[in-house]
Amino acid sequence: MEVTRELVVPAAEEDVWDALTNPERLSEWFANDVELTVERGGEGVFRWADGAVRRAVVDAVDERRRLVMRWWDEDEPAAVSVVTITLDEADEGTRVRVVETASAPFAAAEWATALELRFAFVLPEARL
Amino acid sequence: MARDALGPVFSALSDPTRRHLVETLAGLETATLGELAAGLPVTRQAVSKHLAALGEAGLVESTRAGRNTRYRLTPDALGDAAAWIDRVGAQWDERLRALRDHLTR
Repeated sequence: MEVTRELVVPAAEEDVWDALTNPERLSEWFANDVELTVERGGEGVFRWADGAVRRAVVDAVDERRRLVMRWWDEDEPAAVSVVTITLDEADEGTRVRVVETASAPFAAAEWATALELRFAFVLPEARL
Repeated sequence: MARDALGPVFSALSDPTRRHLVETLAGLETATLGELAAGLPVTRQAVSKHLAALGEAGLVESTRAGRNTRYRLTPDALGDAAAWIDRVGAQWDERLRALRDHLTR
């Protein structure tokens, strides 16, 4: 089970990497209060104004290229997902690609089946 | 349904026989074990185990009618899984917009 999002931002990779990994800057756009140690095994805490808290553990760091971390809602520690953020040079700046994968090892084919089933059966039922 | 409940749904669907059973049940009101096992190259006992796994994941419901147990698809669990995708996708849309605004201010 996986979500992918991509956006080209008009900034250099170095600046984007800093915005994504420097806790002070993360506190300006990502969450209200951020602690994050960007190294393998490093821990993170993201706190939002609404009281939501997510905890994270960094699994891989490839400076300015890729950050992989596991994270979970403090209230739902079993629902761990893996977030992979990848940076690539683009004509107009830097392409930021985010993939969030739920912890269970689902292959794409399985997910495709689930989606087909959803559209084929769940939605028509919901419309009745 | 809590997000923790999504794992079993996808684990259940990771098996081709179980996907086949779900697809078959989707086309029928209800079916018995015998009817479901008829088109499959596995034993009734194996089909019964697969139905139990689908039942644990909340995808299939069984009701006893006389000597027969009838199975029915309960696809709401798939809707919860899809809701996870929708919610997490919307969160990243919002975060990436915030990142762009942060970088271009």
